[in-house]
Amino acid sequence: MKLKTFLRNDPHARPLLILAACIVLLAVADWGEGRFLSATTPFSMLQIFANGAMVALGLGLSMMIREFDLSVVGIFAATGCVAVLTGEVNPWLGIGYALAIGLAAGVIQGLIIVRFALGSVGVTLGGLLIFVGVAYVLTESRTVPYENLPVALFVNRPLAGIFSLRSLICVVVFAAAAVVVGFTRVGRDLIAIGSDRRAAVIVGVNVNAFIIGVFAFSGFCAALSGALLSYSLASATPQGLSDVIVPAAAGAILGGVSLGGGTGRPLGIATGVLILAALRSGLNALGAPPFVNDIAMGAVLLTVAILDGPYLMRRLGRIAPRPRAGS
Amino acid sequence: MEQGVLVPARRGGLRVFLRNRLNLLMAVRVTVIIVLLAACLLTPGFLSEPNIMALLTSVSFIGCVAVGMTLITISGNIMSFCLGATAGATAMVFVVALNWGGIGVGLVAALSLAALLNAAQGLVIGWVRANPIIVSIATLALIYGVAQMFAGSSAVYARPGTGYEIFKGKLVGLPVEFVVFLCVAAVGHFILSYTRLGRNLYMIGSSLRAAEAAGLKTWRSIAGAYLWAGIFTGLAGILLAIRYNLGNMDFGLGYDYDAVAAVLVGGTAIGGGQGSVLRTLAGAMVIAIVQALLLLLGFRQEWQYLIAGLIVLAVIILHTSGERR
Repeated sequence: MKLKTFLRNDPHARPLLILAACIVLLAVADWGEGRFLSATTPFSMLQIFANGAMVALGLGLSMMIREFDLSVVGIFAATGCVAVLTGEVNPWLGIGYALAIGLAAGVIQGLIIVRFALGSVGVTLGGLLIFVGVAYVLTESRTVPYENLPVALFVNRPLAGIFSLRSLICVVVFAAAAVVVGFTRVGRDLIAIGSDRRAAVIVGVNVNAFIIGVFAFSGFCAALSGALLSYSLASATPQGLSDVIVPAAAGAILGGVSLGGGTGRPLGIATGVLILAALRSGLNALGAPPFVNDIAMGAVLLTVAILDGPYLMRRLGRIAPRPRAGS
Repeated sequence: MEQGVLVPARRGGLRVFLRNRLNLLMAVRVTVIIVLLAACLLTPGFLSEPNIMALLTSVSFIGCVAVGMTLITISGNIMSFCLGATAGATAMVFVVALNWGGIGVGLVAALSLAALLNAAQGLVIGWVRANPIIVSIATLALIYGVAQMFAGSSAVYARPGTGYEIFKGKLVGLPVEFVVFLCVAAVGHFILSYTRLGRNLYMIGSSLRAAEAAGLKTWRSIAGAYLWAGIFTGLAGILLAIRYNLGNMDFGLGYDYDAVAAVLVGGTAIGGGQGSVLRTLAGAMVIAIVQALLLLLGFRQEWQYLIAGLIVLAVIILHTSGERR
């Protein structure tokens, strides 16, 4: 009984349900051949998780306060290139530059949004184009190889069976974000800003500081995952715009964040990204061609978008009584 | 909004005149146009025929998409992430249908695909108020997936002699692409300014609630906006296919961002309810002219994104400061 009310009433139950459904479906599709339910799947799942999870976290947090940080895609690409270009000898230097750029980009965009009272989509679209441009200019439109192979191997080496350094960093960032949002005032203030900004101002939340902070954090996350992914792939490319935004937005939405603001939490976002990672690694393990993953992701996302539609119940309610009225 | 009304300066001269936001905007616009014109005249090679032709051709592809995006933005649905993919998919379907049944079949098949794809999104968005950004991202993934299923990651090539060549070359001294773009802009402007659909879109964009209270069937208008956006984008895809003799999913890459940049630089409000196709036309031209100038001045091609981003940011700060959404 308790479980039933939990499933019905807790908005955070849905991502878990979808994740469970995906895993069960994939396990059934595997039909006991041990391709999906094997020891290597958790590792590959976490590797895929680490590719875009932090981008989804930054984007998701910006959605929680009713903004939308498009620039994460550009920052992700640009900082990946910066890390590869500057971190050849000393990988820490590359990461440092990348993080500094990501943070600065977030702070500057946040300041512009706050100072000029602008909508975030327009400002971060400008940021997105600028950073994609920076990536193209720095790499001269080429794919830049990262020659420091020991670092590339080190980042991906399995730790404790299922983790790698990359996915471990990702998990730590998520855990930190979850603790801060779940157990401190920061989390409640974030939700308050997302639900009703004017009310938040009135009760004394420093909304402007939060906006700048969230954009700074989101830039930081994008930079960290961009740099780590470039190291692990041992190359950086300025392309791949849609490769990042689709899973990031999908992960955040699947994880229970709504674009209307005021809902969501980091663990939900993590679950959302895990759903996508499970789909991808499962389909890979089953030997499905890559397009199946795109179609599955699109279908899941579209379903969730429709189910989340605020008018859905009203429309369905309107359809149902009609035959009765006619007869 | 601040369109065209010049508030007369009172005593105090230029500084007081500029302190009014509307006057400041107008002054900036005039300055930008003068500077651009001067730069065009002073840059050697800009007024040469090849350069002008290349400029007009390249602005046409993104321009068609941007006109479609304008309808979506004005209706309050911010932007669509899948117009670029729609252009790519349309180009491929066009080439396949062209090889199979000639130019007529190609045009009909391609345009109906583009229209249906987007109208379906518009229906979902309008009818259950599903989030437009998420719906378009989902469709983006679906389009890429399906395209890969049918074509792998390769291009489809048009067979010569199927009749599409008549759309190459020039019409009244202008590239065909540009003539099509002008027609698209004219149709878009007509829809927004002179039809009921257009008026409804402005109303829905400024306040969905008010529009519903007034008794509009908002989902119809929103589906209409997406339908037209699909058709305009489909035309861009067909033009691309005709120009390069092939269809390819790479055609649409980045077009969503370029198109919305043109919309915003033109001064259409991202929140909806304001703007026009003519502004988008101006925005697309400004971006294209600046990029062409930079190229002629010896900057590499890679700078164009960066410059476009800076222009977008500058325009947004100038244009919308002081009025949040």
